[in-house]
Amino acid sequence: MKSISTDNTKYHIRRRINFVSCFFLLLLITIVFRAGYLQIWCASSLSEKAEKQYEKSLSFYGKRGVIYDRNLKKLADTLSITSIGAHPRQIKNKKTAAQRLAGVLSESQSVIYRKLSSPKPFVWIERKVSPAVSHNARTLKLNGIVFKTEHSRFYPNKTLAAQLIGFAGVDGTGLEGVEFAYNNVLQGGNGKLTFLKDGRGQRFESPNHDKQIKNGYKRELKNGNDLILTIDRNIQYITEKVLAETVKKHQAKSGMAIVMTPQTGEVLALTHYPAFNPHAFNRYDKTQWRNRIVTDPFEPGSTMKIFSAAAAIESGQCSPNTSFYCEKGSYRIGRNTIHDAGSHSFEWLTLHQIIKYSSNIGVVKVVEKIGKDVLYNTLIQFGFGQKTGIDCPSETSGTLAPASKWKTIDTAAIAFGQGIAVSAIQLVTATAAIANHGIMMKPYVVKAITGESGQLIQSFSPTIVRRVISETTARSVTEMMVSVVRKGGTGVNASTDGYFVCGKTGTAQKINPDGKYAKDRFIASFLGFAPAYNPRIALLISIDEPTKEGYYGGTVAAPAFRKITSETLDYLNVEPDTSGAIDSGLTASLNRGPQG
Amino acid sequence: MPISHHIHSDIVLKRKHSGHYNVQLLIPMLLLIGIGIVMVYSASSTLAHEHFNGEYYFLKKQAFFAFIGIIVLIGFKNFPYTYFTYLTYPLIILSLVFITAIEIPGLGVEVNGASRWLNLGILTFQPAEFARFVLVIYLAYSMSKKENSIKSFSIGFLPHFILLVLFALLFLHQPDFGSIIIFGALTWIMLFVGGVPIMHLLSPLPFLSGLLFVLMNQKPYIIDRFMGFLDPWKYASDEGYQLVHSFMAFGSGGLFGAGFGQSYQKLFYLPEPHTDFIIAVIGEEMGFIGVIFIITLFVVILHGGIRIALRSDEPFGSLLAMGLTTALALQLFVNLGVALGLLPTKGLTLPFLSYGGTSLLISMASVGILLNIEEAAT
Repeated sequence: MKSISTDNTKYHIRRRINFVSCFFLLLLITIVFRAGYLQIWCASSLSEKAEKQYEKSLSFYGKRGVIYDRNLKKLADTLSITSIGAHPRQIKNKKTAAQRLAGVLSESQSVIYRKLSSPKPFVWIERKVSPAVSHNARTLKLNGIVFKTEHSRFYPNKTLAAQLIGFAGVDGTGLEGVEFAYNNVLQGGNGKLTFLKDGRGQRFESPNHDKQIKNGYKRELKNGNDLILTIDRNIQYITEKVLAETVKKHQAKSGMAIVMTPQTGEVLALTHYPAFNPHAFNRYDKTQWRNRIVTDPFEPGSTMKIFSAAAAIESGQCSPNTSFYCEKGSYRIGRNTIHDAGSHSFEWLTLHQIIKYSSNIGVVKVVEKIGKDVLYNTLIQFGFGQKTGIDCPSETSGTLAPASKWKTIDTAAIAFGQGIAVSAIQLVTATAAIANHGIMMKPYVVKAITGESGQLIQSFSPTIVRRVISETTARSVTEMMVSVVRKGGTGVNASTDGYFVCGKTGTAQKINPDGKYAKDRFIASFLGFAPAYNPRIALLISIDEPTKEGYYGGTVAAPAFRKITSETLDYLNVEPDTSGAIDSGLTASLNRGPQG
Repeated sequence: MPISHHIHSDIVLKRKHSGHYNVQLLIPMLLLIGIGIVMVYSASSTLAHEHFNGEYYFLKKQAFFAFIGIIVLIGFKNFPYTYFTYLTYPLIILSLVFITAIEIPGLGVEVNGASRWLNLGILTFQPAEFARFVLVIYLAYSMSKKENSIKSFSIGFLPHFILLVLFALLFLHQPDFGSIIIFGALTWIMLFVGGVPIMHLLSPLPFLSGLLFVLMNQKPYIIDRFMGFLDPWKYASDEGYQLVHSFMAFGSGGLFGAGFGQSYQKLFYLPEPHTDFIIAVIGEEMGFIGVIFIITLFVVILHGGIRIALRSDEPFGSLLAMGLTTALALQLFVNLGVALGLLPTKGLTLPFLSYGGTSLLISMASVGILLNIEEAAT
């Protein structure tokens, strides 16, 4: 009985075991198919996905080049900062190592010992140490201690010429100014290292992996080249100091100034106030980074009159002595009425006097005489409406509509600097052309590129753009500009002890958001060169929205011109024209021109 | 009885006298253990080097477990398996004590948010592995004792189901959802083999569906795991992380593999490379060929186990042999199924191959018992 029952049970068990075995077989077949699907069918796409996560690339750059001023004073430099780290496993006697490191580092022995005892494969002991400290640590010659050098951009003069020089970002790439425009020159050779990383992001070696760059990590990278600028650090300093004083004194929004060598087009100083600190550029608004002298167009106002005068004389239709009726201070053109500044009600003025007293109506009359095409062509000759080609990024061409589109009122307005937008660099370049006997030079800020050991790689020589006006015309316009700073002229505050200087004032009304001219917001400027008959510098100073102690160009900008000119000519050792103050037209008319 | 059976029994009888060891079970088992030790070393050397001061840390421990395992195997081979009938209830109580002890602070070791290990001072121990072994013994014993009354719901089905529910409740608390599934599958297969009617086996379905619904609401991590399983690439940074890296390991290996020691996924990409996901490392280093080889070795072992179950003269031996084989098979299927993305993530080792003392000792003990059943089968 028992036996039969057992046999019966066994029979059932066997049947069911066989059934379960088939079920197992089915599962195994599924598993094998799945493995085959992943390992054969999907192999390439999966291994591609895997490859992507193993690879990590790092870019390395050689040391970024130095930016010098024209006298080889450093304006931007690259410092090598060393950080000290350790591979704890390679250090056998951690106690001794910690003790010896503590002798040269600022960290205490116990802190260093704790770091050296870390289970991690790499730890930082102390970051960004001074060169002396890293030197001392190196002389210990400890195994497992490594020195990692990082480059950091340093501007020794801090905010000096900040907008011109610009800055380089943390990765050592130039982002603004010369740093940006000449990034290719300054940036060292680059190397890209692709290595394999494990799941924690740490590097590992694999002899089988063909994508690894051989010796990429150790390769010496070429350092960047150096730049020598046309900027003179001292003139830049003088200019910035005077500009800052002027902006503060008149509680203006901002100011800009440029000093240029008229014969060459070299920019000696170029500044905007307020500046920013290139070491902490991120703390400043982006609008403060750009070099507004080059990038921003504005309505120049009366400084433009010298170019209208130049057009008149160059056309042959006027001489400095040609007289114009100035309508007693109020002149109607269509629906618009033009006034002369202040309470002036001139009657008859010569062209020379029109410039000296800055008569709007006078210069309108002059332009009516010569016609809009002559004015337009002369302005084009002077480079307005076009880029000067200066080697700074994002230059504006300004706005100058073609003469065919000018209405009568436009022609009148453009004659005294309204309805036209120019950049500061255009103004000073055009003025430099007058100073340079009518020949316009292309402005530039980089004089030369030199290599690592100081060898010259490329030098930039002055470039003639064109002859703009004849030498005679240039002489005549110069005389008019000289008279501006004489007694009775609008720019008398610009007259400089010991030198004949010349220039033109400008008091431009700013335009309100509604398109109309503001009654209380001005740009006060002074544009000129010095010494007048042997020019060494052409200079523009422009103060945006002065609110205190006057707003005229002659009141606000002219004194700044005097200070900059005086200090700069003194610095340049320019021999004075006379030993005393020049406060009347007498000396000049005796010595030089036909005009008082 | 069929004639072939008589012949077979004679051969077994002869071999028994000459101290025979079943090569069909032993050779593939030793191969798997050997490959396991080597692959555990490959998968763990970097981890061991950085965290345990020596790349051979896991290799040494696994080799030591294998050595102990051989002693255990020989011990069980010579231990008459029928004695387990007397040990069944003490073993059940012991396993319940172990599982409960996990809850005692200081004894339970928590890994990845789940307590599955028991700290016994010198070694940690996985009670679930032990309990699975005990469950097999209990089911084989209980069903063989009941014989024909197995067809009765209250005798043949209910007591076994109640013990399963008891285990399940304990595992739920840890939480160890995977063990519940494994125990359930094991119980069902054994009850089926033992002769429990299909209708009885299907009877808890409505109850289980309701339970599943409640579980999904109470343990949201189960749903997360399931989503990560369904679309691992979408959840590649969290729930699908393990699976995605397992896939990449298999795919990178291709047909022939990257070569021994050349797995990149084991370098902190693939979690648990030397335990739950060792097959992925094998797949990457040895390719599809290697995976097929491993599966083949298992097929040979499972076939050997099933043959012993078929050959055993009495129900207890037959059911015990089938139960032990089924436990190994389920562990294999679940481990491979998880690594290949066929099943949701579950921490379960691969028998003989994965690093882990409990798993290896239990698996080798199972083989020892199978050998003993074979020797007695005449």
